[in-house]
Amino acid sequence: MTAAKIIINEIKGYHRFLQFMIALVVIGALASMVRFIFGLGVTTNLNDTYPWGLWISFDVVTAVPLAAGAFTLGAIVHCFHIKKLEPLVRPAIVTGFLGYSLVCIGLLLDLGQPQRGWHTMVYWNVHSPMFEVSMCVMAYTTVLFLEFLSPVCEKFGYHMPLRVLRWLEMPLVIAAASISTLHQSSLGTFFLIAVDKLHNLWYNPLLPLQFWMSAIFTGISIIILEATMVHRYLGQPDESELLEILAKILPWVLAVYLAVKVGAVAFLTHGSLFDRPGLLALFAAEVLIGVIIPMLMFMKQSNREDSRMQLRGAGMVIFGVILNRFNVSMFGMIQPDQVIYYPSVTESLVTIGIIAGHILFFVLLAKYFPIFEHHPETVDYSMPDHFHATEAHEHDQGKGVEA
Amino acid sequence: MSSADMDVTKHKTFLIDTTKCTGCRGCQVACKQWNQLKAEKTVFFSGEGYQNPPAMTEHTFTRIKFRDYEKNGQNEFAFYKEMCMHCNEPACASVCPVGAFVKSPEGPVIYNASRCIGCRFCMIACPFGIPKYEWSKAFPLVKKCTGCYSRIKEGLEPACATACPTAITYGSREEMIKEAERRLKNRPQRYFQAIYGKEEAGGTSILYLTHQPLDELGFKKVTTRPLPSYTWQALRLVPGIFLTMGGGLSLLSWFNHRKERIRQEEGFKNSKVQPEKKDEMKGDNQ
Repeated sequence: MTAAKIIINEIKGYHRFLQFMIALVVIGALASMVRFIFGLGVTTNLNDTYPWGLWISFDVVTAVPLAAGAFTLGAIVHCFHIKKLEPLVRPAIVTGFLGYSLVCIGLLLDLGQPQRGWHTMVYWNVHSPMFEVSMCVMAYTTVLFLEFLSPVCEKFGYHMPLRVLRWLEMPLVIAAASISTLHQSSLGTFFLIAVDKLHNLWYNPLLPLQFWMSAIFTGISIIILEATMVHRYLGQPDESELLEILAKILPWVLAVYLAVKVGAVAFLTHGSLFDRPGLLALFAAEVLIGVIIPMLMFMKQSNREDSRMQLRGAGMVIFGVILNRFNVSMFGMIQPDQVIYYPSVTESLVTIGIIAGHILFFVLLAKYFPIFEHHPETVDYSMPDHFHATEAHEHDQGKGVEA
Repeated sequence: MSSADMDVTKHKTFLIDTTKCTGCRGCQVACKQWNQLKAEKTVFFSGEGYQNPPAMTEHTFTRIKFRDYEKNGQNEFAFYKEMCMHCNEPACASVCPVGAFVKSPEGPVIYNASRCIGCRFCMIACPFGIPKYEWSKAFPLVKKCTGCYSRIKEGLEPACATACPTAITYGSREEMIKEAERRLKNRPQRYFQAIYGKEEAGGTSILYLTHQPLDELGFKKVTTRPLPSYTWQALRLVPGIFLTMGGGLSLLSWFNHRKERIRQEEGFKNSKVQPEKKDEMKGDNQ
């Protein structure tokens, strides 16, 4: 009773926006229960023509690249050793961890037999992109969870696990990047089986490569978006100087992606590209807004420095990638004579609940855990280097005495 | 899973001669009876043309499609039987994350319902749009033609093939192709010169002969390359990419960290040596 009261009082103290988010999450949770009581057919607009709808197109195929910030930034900071950006890493890990947890929830809701989800771990089929992705998503969610444990241990002052986690930091970063490379690209492999179904504008053998590359620039853009939002609404310091470095990387990745995409569409497709004006417009919108304009924008120094332009450019990239994933997984798959699918109320409420959940949990985690206080180290956790350095030091001392 | 090591020529195969089909729909009824499938409430002209039910569903594994056409100024019907094609290299089996679909050594592509997690990837992958879902259920499974696997295991022929009075011949793929080619050769004016299913999707266990051109009858134009090869060409790179990525990043970070460590150690050495000297100096001064 008292515990409930404390929680209620705590929630009453939240900002109105957060309370609204809580309401959306509760509604989404209720809507997902409706799916289990009344069945997929009644509660969604899915049918035999559209076996995959909003839940796959957004909650899985789009949400995975949107959660790519953690592995991208991890690799940039720790492998390419741009240490300056380290303050951005931990919020990115939290975003990634939340994103992947919600991907798992979305996927389980969409499955007909969610209670058999563990079957993928037992009955392997290495020929299936879905097997590959589900294994990777499970592995990567675990990696993100371990990375996310650092702020949790700091909060409660568990020093021993922290030492282990610090020691694991590099292996985890490398595992994150490798696993992400696999499943981000394999999401593209999904649609390689849709021969003669997915329109030529998107169907080509380089689709997996494009999915991976777009995950990288989406990850970078998400970090820009998130850091800007956190500065504006959570009162955190302005990181736009650090974001400028990211804005400098962005046009390069976008340019390579554009080159691969144009090359693939020009040389690796069979059949007509321009027979469906609607799809052509969607394709043009995706490439123009999501790739070309932000690329040109970030090529100018003044735009990279301007915090507002950073946000706009990142926003366009994110819009572009969302459109791209919907084009591939939904719009491009619609045959000329098919009825158009639109998500049902239940489907929409669940997806809105998932998005709201992401924002809500991020804010709450930031509220209760040291997400932004970058490594408040009173203890030196860097085990191997520490011992090594001390040893070397003592050795030198000895030498000094001898001499 | 891959049928590359299977002897495709021995697979049980349907030869469906649509020129001999009378549209009696005995196959539809036999299929429902053997598989214990629910009847569907139907009305005339609820779908395209005369066929009923309007679409294949979880309750309908096969149906006869009707096509009107004009011959010598008279209206005529052409029929064809829609069913699972039982591909030699099935897309559904290759994409299923838990291997619920298997190409059996006898020929039919069979479904292990107890494995299925209900992801519906098979429905996306099938070039013929065959797997259907139990949309009415809270925990749905996939449904499709079983090729009457339970019957052929007992030495019987599939229910539809047994019921068909005219059009279906059933036997090994090798023999059925031979028979189809014999018919095409002997009665060239009766047949459109193609065997649908011989090459489609890398070859299937259903072969069709028609009078009309295939697209006029509503046969889907399908790639002749086995569909699993489209995804495998990317998936086979997975272990290599994983090792390259992991190894490359490890090397890169090792290199960068080493540089950093050397710099730190130098700094550390210099900074720690200095105070000692200062102490000595202090001592000297005193």
